[in-house]
Amino acid sequence: MKHLLLQLSAISSVLLLVAGAYGSARPRYGGTVRVLLHDKVMSIDPLSEEDHPAARDRLAALTFETLTEIDAQGRLHPNLAASWHADQSKRVWQFRLRLANFHDGTVLTAADVAASLARSNPAWKYSAADRQTVTIETPSPVQHMAEMLTLPKYAIVKRQGEANGAAVLVGTGPYKLNQWQAGERAQFAVNDDYWGGRAFADAIEFQMGASLREQLVDRQLGQYGAAEVGIDQLRALEQTNQNVAISRPADLLTVAFLQSDSPSRAGRKPVDSRVREALGLAINRAAISNALLQRRGTPASGLLPQWLTGYEFMFPGSTDLGRARELRSDAAAFVVITPIMLAYDAADPLSKLVAERIAVDAREAGIVVTPYAEAHVNSKVARSQINADAVLLRLPLQSVEPSIALTALTDDLGFFSESAPAILGATRPEDLFEAERKLLENHRIIPVAHLPQAVWLNGNVHNWQQLATGAWQLDQLWVEGAR
Amino acid sequence: MPFDGFSSQIGAIAIYSYMLKTALNLWFCAILFLLLPAASTAQQDAQPLPLAATEFVHQILSRSGSPSAVAVTFQNLSVLPPESQEAVQNAVFNGFRNANVRLVKAEQALAEVQITFSEDWQGYVWIATVRQGSSNQLVIKKIARQQRAVSSRAPTLTIRKIPVWQQDGQILDFFQDNQNLLVLEPGQLSIYANESGQWRPRQTLGIPHQHPWPRDLRGRLEVRNGEINAFLPGTRCSGKISPPALDCRASDDPWPLDSGLVAFFSSRRNFFSGLLAGQSAGASVASFFSGAAWQNGDQRMWLFTGTDGRARFFQNDLGSPAATYDGWGSMVATVHSNCGTGWQLLTSAPTDSIRPDSVQAVEIAGREALPVSVPVDLAGAVDALWTAGNYNQVVNGVMQSQATGRYEAFTLTVVCNQ
Repeated sequence: MKHLLLQLSAISSVLLLVAGAYGSARPRYGGTVRVLLHDKVMSIDPLSEEDHPAARDRLAALTFETLTEIDAQGRLHPNLAASWHADQSKRVWQFRLRLANFHDGTVLTAADVAASLARSNPAWKYSAADRQTVTIETPSPVQHMAEMLTLPKYAIVKRQGEANGAAVLVGTGPYKLNQWQAGERAQFAVNDDYWGGRAFADAIEFQMGASLREQLVDRQLGQYGAAEVGIDQLRALEQTNQNVAISRPADLLTVAFLQSDSPSRAGRKPVDSRVREALGLAINRAAISNALLQRRGTPASGLLPQWLTGYEFMFPGSTDLGRARELRSDAAAFVVITPIMLAYDAADPLSKLVAERIAVDAREAGIVVTPYAEAHVNSKVARSQINADAVLLRLPLQSVEPSIALTALTDDLGFFSESAPAILGATRPEDLFEAERKLLENHRIIPVAHLPQAVWLNGNVHNWQQLATGAWQLDQLWVEGAR
Repeated sequence: MPFDGFSSQIGAIAIYSYMLKTALNLWFCAILFLLLPAASTAQQDAQPLPLAATEFVHQILSRSGSPSAVAVTFQNLSVLPPESQEAVQNAVFNGFRNANVRLVKAEQALAEVQITFSEDWQGYVWIATVRQGSSNQLVIKKIARQQRAVSSRAPTLTIRKIPVWQQDGQILDFFQDNQNLLVLEPGQLSIYANESGQWRPRQTLGIPHQHPWPRDLRGRLEVRNGEINAFLPGTRCSGKISPPALDCRASDDPWPLDSGLVAFFSSRRNFFSGLLAGQSAGASVASFFSGAAWQNGDQRMWLFTGTDGRARFFQNDLGSPAATYDGWGSMVATVHSNCGTGWQLLTSAPTDSIRPDSVQAVEIAGREALPVSVPVDLAGAVDALWTAGNYNQVVNGVMQSQATGRYEAFTLTVVCNQ
């Protein structure tokens, strides 16, 4: 740690000298911003099955745009849609498109949008009322459709040459994909003809699968504009006055049991609901938050964080070992309690620490939890194939609109079809609270913590916008030293 | 939408112009100080909390079937200060009493109401759990948090900010006199007429353009004797206020910046190329975001905020800078006042454009730049600063509020301390 601090100190003194020479509110054009990504992204297709969908979405957002967007203050704005309205039932929504071109020079049409959205959500009906107007019909009311369409999965993508088996994805965004080496490197070049005006930086380049620590060791950090950092690196960075942007604790770290109580999968039997509840009561979330997460995260009792809803505190999340032991004993009278196999993301050292701590807490209640590393836990397809009782998942918060955020979480957790209608139709916060309560009542999901996302920023990079969710908005980004 | 008390502001500006024109009398300035509305008063759009509390009680009663006797308890998980909490609690008690519901101890109550003052990232969230026998009801009310007033600190030389206009759409520049307010926007020029102290829409004139506007779009509006000249990147529009007319064409004509300072603007970027026109035709400086020119006795002065982050000061000769300064914001405009040397530079702060900004007055003494006011904090990034008024006594500014996202046009003047 001392070595790391010394290295950071040396780099920061150089960077501060550089930063001090500049200062301006007006963005400058030109230059390349290089960004270090912790995760490896294999595809920027917003609908691809990815181990690290949040990282994929960060790249994809530069190229593929949604019809609407939400800014850093949580305000909804038009994006590819210039305006929209719904009928009274909130089942029929009509979006009027702005004039925009795809990167291949073709004009964005309602037919393109309908085709793209049909892949994102086949359960809805889409039609082009005219060249610039697309209509969406849903089987049940969607109160916040415009907010829903800000989710990355609803980005508008034109797929060319699919019949030949090698689809080329074309977007409308401020940057075009220029160079791509899956899992290693991506370079995006500015779209000079972007409908919203040319972005400032000429290019944004991502180096994937590299950690800040490795770059420090190589003394290579100065060439980067930004780097993703883990919670365990924050203290050292802050002690050396490095510029670090930290989001609100938005991600959900949760234990998710894979088998439902009426199992359809061959293989492992579901863990008894009393044992699941007992595990939830045994976990010492405060200790995890204070020690392992260095007070950067918050204990989670609900799926959505307290800062987003104001009502997370209503869900019980305190440790109660006495009640946990009782529940475990009740269960033992009826079923044989076998060790719980808990898989965690092998690429995430924090998940390993938390999984091991959960095992320690569980032992206090007489429950055996066996944590083990899995290479692929984040995609739904991969999870369906692993031989575990439960997984420790880190799920990103995808929206600051609570109903949309909860819908996206249920989608990630595989509960979309049973939960979404109630959530999307909710007109009052009480309805949303009730929907969340129902998701938690059978203890298949045990929230553990909410975690922030953090990024180190070089002093010469400006207008780096980290949204409350931790997502990046990089279209206003500019770098010093450019013209 | 105009600000409240707008008519008095129009009157105040007219008085101020007259005073500068005639005597620039300090005493009159002091009186003017008192006449001007508090410039940095934040909007109070949010619902008053006691009123919200009354509505909350109505919601609780309608969901719980209006029990005749309730026990109420409170907990506060928010930043609601104790005095506000007490006011809200009293409003809750009064709400129950006015609905003929008795407030009693828990053991005598037909319903127990637990009220929690919580909050989310955008406002207060009040939650009532109503227990009646074995049933539980939940009532949640969200209330927008009132904006904090922008801080004002004791000044040495004071910058006064007067709100003029605000709207959702982007404002590039504006012009106002007693009769007209013209707002230059990316796709149009909006003209408003003064009717009994309120600006009423009069005409909207379109600004057609061939290419997408550059990001960080800028524009310049010049109105003299009813003649309009609007400059946008690669486009120039000319017309009249009365009858309203505007004719736009593709053009790289230089833009007027300040007294006698005219410069060419890059048609697909957000800066001036550095090539000057007008009185300084043929001269060029490093590319810049904004420039200022003023006369100090027989000395001609210029200052340009370069795209490289350095501000360059020139004295009589544009060949080489007399001084270079770091750490300035990119926006600068001169203002003529009765204070100090008579000329001040108003500059924005060196912050990112996604953060709140401030404006500070600076004087150049010799080659040294001296701050002569404390910064005026603004609720968003400054998008434009242009010298205005017949005697350069006003700076027109535009900013986008971080809190509301709305664009605000305002004027800045410098007032001497006594």
